[in-house]
Amino acid sequence: MAALNQPTKVEKTPKKKTIFQGSAREDSPFKRFWIHVGLIIACIFTVYPILRILSVALRPGDRLLSTNLALIPPDATLEAFRIVLFDKPFLQWIWNSLAITMSTALIGVILAATSAYAFSRWKFPGRSLGLIFLLGTQMIPAAMLMIPIYILAIKLGLVGTFRGLVIAYCVTSVPFSIWILKGYYDTIPIDLEEAARIDGCSQLQAFWRILLPLSTPSLAIVFLFNFTFAWNDYLLARVMLGSQEQLLVWPLGLQRMVGQFQTQWGQFSAASILVAIPVMALFLYSAKWLISGLTLGSVKG
Amino acid sequence: MIDGPTVLKSLQEVGMTVLVIFIGTAILETILYLILVRALHYRFALPFMLIAPAVLGLVALVVIPLAWELWISMTNMSLKHFKVPEFIGLTNYVKVFTQPVLKSVTFLPLFLRTILWTFVNISFHVLGGLGLALLLNRKMRGRAIYRTLLVLPWAVPQVIAVLAWRNEFHYEFGFINLMLRDLGIAPIAWLTTPVPNFIAMCITNIWLGIPFMMIILLGGLQSINDEYYEAAQMDGANAWQQFKSITMPLIAPVMTPAIILGTVWTFNNFNIPFFINQNEIESSDILVTALFRASFQYNRYGFSAAFAFVIFILLLVYTIFYLKRSGTLKGAV
Amino acid sequence: MKSLWKITALIVLATMLLAACAPAAPVAEAPAAEAPAAEAPVAEAPVVEAPAEPVAPAEVKLTVWTKEAEEGGGLPYVQALADAFSAANPGVTFEVINKDVETLREDFQTASLAGAAPDLLWTVSDHVGPFQTADLIQPVDGLVDTSMYVDSAVEAVKLPGVEGTWGVPISNGNHLMLLFNKSLIAEAPADTDAFVAAAKAVTAGDVYGFAYNQTEPFWLVPWLGGFGGSVFAEDGVTPTLNTPEMVATLKFLHDIKFVDAITPTESDYNGADALFKEGKAAMIVNGDWSLSGYKEALGDKLGVAALPMVKATGKYPAPYTSGVFFMVPKDLAADKLAMVKSFMEFATNDTNQLDMVAKLNRLPALKTALASELITGDPILAGSAAQMSYGTPMPIVLEMRCNWDSMKPEMIAVLADQKTAEDAAVKMQEAADACMLTLE
Repeated sequence: MAALNQPTKVEKTPKKKTIFQGSAREDSPFKRFWIHVGLIIACIFTVYPILRILSVALRPGDRLLSTNLALIPPDATLEAFRIVLFDKPFLQWIWNSLAITMSTALIGVILAATSAYAFSRWKFPGRSLGLIFLLGTQMIPAAMLMIPIYILAIKLGLVGTFRGLVIAYCVTSVPFSIWILKGYYDTIPIDLEEAARIDGCSQLQAFWRILLPLSTPSLAIVFLFNFTFAWNDYLLARVMLGSQEQLLVWPLGLQRMVGQFQTQWGQFSAASILVAIPVMALFLYSAKWLISGLTLGSVKG
Repeated sequence: MIDGPTVLKSLQEVGMTVLVIFIGTAILETILYLILVRALHYRFALPFMLIAPAVLGLVALVVIPLAWELWISMTNMSLKHFKVPEFIGLTNYVKVFTQPVLKSVTFLPLFLRTILWTFVNISFHVLGGLGLALLLNRKMRGRAIYRTLLVLPWAVPQVIAVLAWRNEFHYEFGFINLMLRDLGIAPIAWLTTPVPNFIAMCITNIWLGIPFMMIILLGGLQSINDEYYEAAQMDGANAWQQFKSITMPLIAPVMTPAIILGTVWTFNNFNIPFFINQNEIESSDILVTALFRASFQYNRYGFSAAFAFVIFILLLVYTIFYLKRSGTLKGAV
Repeated sequence: MKSLWKITALIVLATMLLAACAPAAPVAEAPAAEAPAAEAPVAEAPVVEAPAEPVAPAEVKLTVWTKEAEEGGGLPYVQALADAFSAANPGVTFEVINKDVETLREDFQTASLAGAAPDLLWTVSDHVGPFQTADLIQPVDGLVDTSMYVDSAVEAVKLPGVEGTWGVPISNGNHLMLLFNKSLIAEAPADTDAFVAAAKAVTAGDVYGFAYNQTEPFWLVPWLGGFGGSVFAEDGVTPTLNTPEMVATLKFLHDIKFVDAITPTESDYNGADALFKEGKAAMIVNGDWSLSGYKEALGDKLGVAALPMVKATGKYPAPYTSGVFFMVPKDLAADKLAMVKSFMEFATNDTNQLDMVAKLNRLPALKTALASELITGDPILAGSAAQMSYGTPMPIVLEMRCNWDSMKPEMIAVLADQKTAEDAAVKMQEAADACMLTLE
């Protein structure tokens, strides 16, 4: 299969023209109709559960459950959204999460981009072992490491502030990112850098000027992965953060709304919707990168 | 609400840490530079300097905790031996295979169930993802909208999605049963009966996992050059033949890593089995949820550390085996 | 994408600029040096804070972990108590940290292991089992006069075969009781026959006579008590689940569901709760924590009573009572211990106990407070107190976890009509016995 793959010679800079190549085949109107039907049904299955969250958010009181199937309840109210936005430090939590997530995702990308370069271009001693180890980290059940990480963080005095969390998030997605980026770098011919070096660039300059710009799609993917990981993480945040209400990230804040027995379901759902918006926006914005960045890298894995 | 001082305060904390990380990295790199380049004139100085910060971070966050767990796995640490656990060698590893892991279930059935869970999920992920990717891989009206809507489950934070789904499986109030009732079918007790509960877990995870597979496969499909299909059409190949001999082999290199990754993620998926099965039906536990309960609810620290290593090693062996067989690792290692 | 990069770059730049004007000098790899300590949530308990200093009224900072959350007013109440104590005792400051029940247990165990335990816990009674077993807390007998507190509350934090009281009671109760909707049922049934008859009379269409959390054995044990059974033998640690009483209890719960058909087919806590709030369940069994929510939903239509007497035995169901307690970590420095002692006395004095009743609707643990007009004059609190008199302290030994976890799946299986009561009881006992082995 590797041989079959060669002729396309993997477009490194996916231009808009080539990305929709599969579309050259024309479909009959009849076939098109059924394709639309199929996709619409799939969309309903995809979106309906999300809309149900919205519907709980619109219900007055804390009625999580209701036999009413209408998506917009007859007595719909935006009260839950108002409470979440104005009476709770919800925006503060989102802001904290954003500040932490954005900066750690960026650092994570830098760490991974440089490491992946080393793994892609040099056969240094310990390289194979290192790659297996990086892969191995993906197999570790996350809950397994929480106790030792907590103890370590206490000993280093990192518990209760953002410090431990920021440091931890920078590192957690690095193994996966390295694999993606290394795969992508591998598809970029080394000749390009060599040409640059003949022109007088240093190795690092060649990396910076040639390789990185060519890898933008996969860098974007890695950023997105780092971002979503940190944004959605609950386990590490729970271990690392204190409890001062102003200094929480949103998963912990939301968790506070879920009492042992009594939960403010309306507010919880409203907050859930608001939380999902930035991620969705980011996903939608980067959808085109998502496709080319992920696959090109893994083509040669 | 949000107020100025705390906004600045959180920014300041994050900024400080970032600064510390940068300064620390700079110091680390300087030291490495002095040792590797200046003193040793080492051939691989640059790659080592490039990976050093990541290595340092991983040592702190992964290697040291792993080493601690390894030590704990060889002790009898539990609440009764909490502060000064005794070294007991490999006893815990033997126990993992000989004693009930949780309440009554032993390792092997649990392992087989986890494999079933993984297999069912990945099959549906790949089939569903491939189906949707094939439908989307064409020029048509509303393509962007479809793609946007279909990718949404991936963007919803997992825990939120799972909690939402759990409510939909509710006997009285979930829409699935409400619809079954409307159709005149007897409603199902999704949350308390073993088989439906397992199916409920699968439905939720399938819903969550299809978008990722779809996006990856769509990318794979789009990188296939149209000339292949044109040539095949000229040779008179029908749609199925084209799919079998062009599409499948050409997206295989994309699909293989995605399947491996998906397998590992599903195998280790905690949120879905844990939150859907809040009634702790033992027949819905998979390895990682059993591990969590053994460790945190029963406080069998030593035993669960050994248990965790067994899971870890199983996965590692599977991955290396699969990568070796599919040849993906050849170029890499 | 470009603009995204720009934005992130800007944010990082901004953070760095702000960091530069921060008061504390950023010291590489030494994040412990942070200046604005006043506001920072320092969970790193200041263990190295020179306890050798003379006993003068030095600065003492107490870290309190509480299970009380923001919702329901628990956390603000704890914080207010701490503030009041600080005001009266200059030099004592508090850091009150909320953790949910399970997290508090796990984190306290881990933090103790790392030598950074908090100074005081405000948590539920069942934490005594694990904490005492792991040797993490100290008895409170020498610290407070336990005879001031309600006997059942003090009993709730004693362990069989172990000397000592392991917590100072704050509130008492947490027990289940029968709540009913007066617009559907005029008055509370006296015994189980009347109970079933009354429920049958109103069950029609989408209205059920009786709803309860069918997935938690916490809702099973009161009836077990009514049938004369107990989950432990006399010694308090040997599970006795395969008993005729357990079989009778399971049969009863099974029959009211499948024979009399007065309960919903599947209902967990939220399901039962929603039905009762929507007026679609005439009766519910729920705990004292739910009272204020139902008062809000049903107004004066809410009735409170003890669970009906079990006709077959003539006994009243015995819900588990527990409560909220202070627990004192081991190896606390002398000056901190002194402050912890006076804070516990302060928090449970008569005034503050009555204040808690008013604010949190919980039954007090102090004898004098329980006898006050505030309790006896309120029909709902009085009903709750009446039920509590039939209650039995919830076992807090480590072994109880085995019982809970063994009962749960079997109870669910019986209520799904998948196992007979007899089979389920056998399985419960087997599971509990197997579980006991893992406690070694």
